[in-house]
Amino acid sequence: MLYVIYEFEKSLYDLIRGLRNHKGNEKEYIQKTLKECRAEVRSQDMDLKATALLKLIYLEMVGHDMSWASFHVLEVMSSPKYHQKRVGYLGAVQSFRHDTEVLMLATNLLKKDLAATTPTVISLPIATLPHVITPSLALSTLADLLPRLNHSHANIRKKTLVTLYRLALVYPEALRAAWPKIKDRLMDPNEDPSVTAAIVNVVCELGSRRPHDFLPLAPRLFELLVDSGNNWMAIKLIKLFATLTPLEPRLVKKLLPPLTNIIRTTPAMSLLYECINGIIQGGILDSAEDIAGADEIATLCVNKLRGMIMINGDANLKYVALLAFNKIVLTHPHLVSQQEDVILECIDSTDITIRVQALNLVKGMVTSDNLVPIVSRLMKQLKSSSPSKDRRAPGSSSNTPETESDDESQTAITAPTVRDTQALLIPDDYRIDIIERILFMCSKDNYSSVLDFDWYIDVLTQLVRMAPIPRTFDADTGALLPTRQQVDVSEKVGDELRNVAVKVRAMRATAVRAADVILDQLLSDNPVGHPLSSGALKSSIWIIGEYSIQLALPDDSLNGLLQAIPRIGKPEIVAVALHATAKVFSSIAGSEVEPWTSERKSRISLLLARILDVLEPLALHPNLEVQERAVEFIELLKLTAEAASGQPPSTDENSQEPPLLLTQAIPSLFTGWELNSVAIHAQKNVPLPGGLDLDEPIHSNLGRLLAQTDIVTLQSDEADEFEVYYHQRPPPSSISSSAPAISRLADPDDDMASSYQQLSEESYLDADILAKRKAERMEKNKDDPFYIPSDNILRTSTPIHNILQNHNGPALDIDSIPVMQLDLEKIGTTVAAPSRPRPQPRQRVIVAADETLEGSDSGTGRQYDSENSSSNVAKAKSKKSKQHSLLQVDSSTIGSFSLEGNASEGFDYERQQREEAEMQQAMKEVERLRLEMQRANERIQMAQGADVQGVVIKKKKKKVAKKTAGDDENEPTKVKPKKKTKKVAAQTVEGGEPGAVTEDAPGSPSTKVAPKKKKKKKAPVEEVEATGEAGSLV
Amino acid sequence: MISAFLVFNNQGQPRLTKFYTQLDTSIQQRLISEIFTLVSNRPAGSCNFLPLPPLLAASSTSHSSTEEQSDVPSLVTYRHYATLYFIVISTSTESPLALIDLIQVYVEALDKLFENVCELDLIFNFETLHATLSEMIIGGVVIETSLDRIVAGVRAQGTVAKRPVNEGRSTIGSGMGIGGNFAWTGRV
Repeated sequence: MLYVIYEFEKSLYDLIRGLRNHKGNEKEYIQKTLKECRAEVRSQDMDLKATALLKLIYLEMVGHDMSWASFHVLEVMSSPKYHQKRVGYLGAVQSFRHDTEVLMLATNLLKKDLAATTPTVISLPIATLPHVITPSLALSTLADLLPRLNHSHANIRKKTLVTLYRLALVYPEALRAAWPKIKDRLMDPNEDPSVTAAIVNVVCELGSRRPHDFLPLAPRLFELLVDSGNNWMAIKLIKLFATLTPLEPRLVKKLLPPLTNIIRTTPAMSLLYECINGIIQGGILDSAEDIAGADEIATLCVNKLRGMIMINGDANLKYVALLAFNKIVLTHPHLVSQQEDVILECIDSTDITIRVQALNLVKGMVTSDNLVPIVSRLMKQLKSSSPSKDRRAPGSSSNTPETESDDESQTAITAPTVRDTQALLIPDDYRIDIIERILFMCSKDNYSSVLDFDWYIDVLTQLVRMAPIPRTFDADTGALLPTRQQVDVSEKVGDELRNVAVKVRAMRATAVRAADVILDQLLSDNPVGHPLSSGALKSSIWIIGEYSIQLALPDDSLNGLLQAIPRIGKPEIVAVALHATAKVFSSIAGSEVEPWTSERKSRISLLLARILDVLEPLALHPNLEVQERAVEFIELLKLTAEAASGQPPSTDENSQEPPLLLTQAIPSLFTGWELNSVAIHAQKNVPLPGGLDLDEPIHSNLGRLLAQTDIVTLQSDEADEFEVYYHQRPPPSSISSSAPAISRLADPDDDMASSYQQLSEESYLDADILAKRKAERMEKNKDDPFYIPSDNILRTSTPIHNILQNHNGPALDIDSIPVMQLDLEKIGTTVAAPSRPRPQPRQRVIVAADETLEGSDSGTGRQYDSENSSSNVAKAKSKKSKQHSLLQVDSSTIGSFSLEGNASEGFDYERQQREEAEMQQAMKEVERLRLEMQRANERIQMAQGADVQGVVIKKKKKKVAKKTAGDDENEPTKVKPKKKTKKVAAQTVEGGEPGAVTEDAPGSPSTKVAPKKKKKKKAPVEEVEATGEAGSLV
Repeated sequence: MISAFLVFNNQGQPRLTKFYTQLDTSIQQRLISEIFTLVSNRPAGSCNFLPLPPLLAASSTSHSSTEEQSDVPSLVTYRHYATLYFIVISTSTESPLALIDLIQVYVEALDKLFENVCELDLIFNFETLHATLSEMIIGGVVIETSLDRIVAGVRAQGTVAKRPVNEGRSTIGSGMGIGGNFAWTGRV
């Protein structure tokens, strides 16, 4: 390391000390230092420049962009001193990005350093290239890299071959040239083992993309696996073989003995694990020819994995074993389901990583027997980690980076506090994940695992409360939010509830009640004036409207809806709510049987007035859909109000019918065919009727027909009636009385719900839901002689209840234990099923399957109806659109690249030569033209008698030269003669040069640039040395 | 393949950042702070693997085909030594358990170079950190796992400076290289 201490400038050491001494105002200090660095890095003194660069790199690490300094990075890279050069290269690695323009200028420097004699110098460009590589850079450095594969230092050889691999990722042809040499190295038994290991690593990377090309290597790889004692390499070899065996089943037979041998003998857990993993991934479990052998190896693997989970204390083994199970479960679900006990244990692990893996597994293992316990566990986790109401989006607060401060004492205080709050906290991502999985497990195979829909609906109600608030509404981070957070998970919960309501007719009433509860809950949870934003609202409101007949207290529900409508934020939910309001109103008011008494009349008028009061502001809603629906319903209800007020109430002697509009017209809007869920692909299966030509016009004279229809409708009698109604103005008086009614009715609900909320902490269901469940259970089991109702003490005193629950473990619900068995055992006559819950008869509930047509294969398993599936389709679409992950190295180009003819010389030298010759020809021509132009220029200049100062002009010219080299990489060759002429022929006006250059450019086709690099390689570099000026490396 | 190698301390201040693909500085910082949030909240006895940070998780879920899966970083491995966290982000072609050992090798190499390495050594000699790393990993591919060769490779580049003598706080992490946070016996 270097510490060049200057008297006036700060070294890196000073910078770090300064940072530590400026606790509290680092920002200021860093800004000051950055300013200094900006000046220092421009200095002519290379030591100063390098030190400044080192400081910049340090500051880059803590988040201060240094892309502006890329040219200075290049300057330091070109330093003849190794320790400075190293700083320069480090700067390039850390700060060069795809758009760094000076990269083009670096090409020659890289080529020169690749040809250096000192191994440490050669290492620098080799290690740097993978970070900055572009196709064109790969093209021009390939020829310099290839010879390095034969370097005498093993260190250089192995670094080179990895760099060649990275070259191949952006420029696949590089692999064609390099592969024969790499293969020779691999085959060479005398090669340094660490080089061989590096080759295996590279082949393993390549193998995951193009396994076919590496099958011929199998014998050598096998030899390495058996003979070499290197565990690191063995791991990679096994990973590689796992990709090869599916292509060459004969390998399995060969591999099994050494693999089983390793499994039985190796002391290294990592190797053992990779062996098992390799057997699983390589499909060896399925492809073993004799069944007995396959069974044996499968049990061996699974037992080893089970052992890994069981080993107490080593969480890493637990994790990797679950990882392996996750792969086995795809092919051998029965083997994994045997391990259900240990896997379920992992769901409650304190370690989130392990939990997620276990969850992945559990998802596939659900049956009707274990669904309830599994979901209960998950619900319990959600409940116990549920953030309290006032603490919103806790993840965001801890995300603020402290990278800018070096202040250890200060952060030391804050860090533990973060820890405290987080002890209970589960990240929102994970919560969303759990909720989605619960929904998935329950709705799997059209709810085949759900036996008790009462329970499921209660779970859904609870989930709505526990769903994290989506953060999509944060305006500042909105653009950066990952897509999966933008889906409000509570909306999915709501959709599930709706699905149950639609599909399970028997549970409809319960679902409607649940929807009602959710609406009430949302109203009472959000203080008045705050918008309701829960995604569950839409489905709940729809259920309330669609099945309003089933509402227990329709008046209350209507009241809730009317309260909610002004507070709903999203227009699409408002639209749904408008419809629901009308539906509920129609079911309240539309009774034909009820006599038209004065009481009913006034009640209806009052109701209508209140509804109209809520709807009227929406007639001017900015959303067109809302506006349209609002206007329609307002008009309709106004007519109804008029009809109701116009119809005199029946008296004892004179019976009056309620207005037809109320009993006939409005209900008929909403009754009809019952809605059923339709399978996602059903539409596709609608057969096209024979003889239907979709391109044929429906009627040759359609336009006229349509025009006629207008006239026809106007002439009909109904239209006249309608006109009469339409032009009558509704009396405005009825609206005024509505406001107090709303406020009066709103109160009691709110109180009840909020007081229930705080009662129970322990169980996963909220107390109110629990209470309801208990009541229901009591009711249900009233006549069951085996059911011992829990006695009053237990029921009334929640603390004891909770204590018992705590002791019995999280998953136990006291009430769900069939207590009857105690009774039976005391009598000792009959044998009761030991601890199994009483199997609940399923036939009570019928789950409607999705409607579809013959030939729909994928329709039956759908759990979401069309509305959800449309979002799925959208998701699938987004999947298709190619989106690169962060940090991802795209190797897809390699995938389409063929290494055919491995043994032959892949690199077409002949073509290269030919192109080179062509290139030279072209270059000569260009050169000739350029010289001509230059001479012409000089002539002009002489004529003008321009006299310019040498130094200044020189610099400017250099810039021009650099720029042109940046624009077009084939320039460097031209630079040389250009500069020579420059020197000879006094000064030229700067304008002349770029003119000449741009003229040249078309003459040298850039596509053929490739092969000539050898020729031009040294030219500019020599010139740097000739001018002897630091900083003019081009 | 290894996508990134990071070192930061208990406060989340980076001590070494090495990304094997090009990434904007701001995104690098976001990723670091996300990983720090994850890693600093691990209960005792947790495994050495992290769930994917949101930045990575979002992009990896959008890939479905197994073909592309091998390119996407899917594993975040970490080890905690005294005051420092060492993080490796990698794709599925790396072996998770071997990565734990790789971090151990790296720390042992540093320990050998600095003799009883502590955080201060790393702060003041971050160039050596980079040099050591590039003896082990090039372009995201592991090239060397032998301790002696790594140390020799770094020493060949010049002398390794000791921590400044006048810097008062010494050996925060004495024995950092040996114990680690976790008695991990299954060494490769």
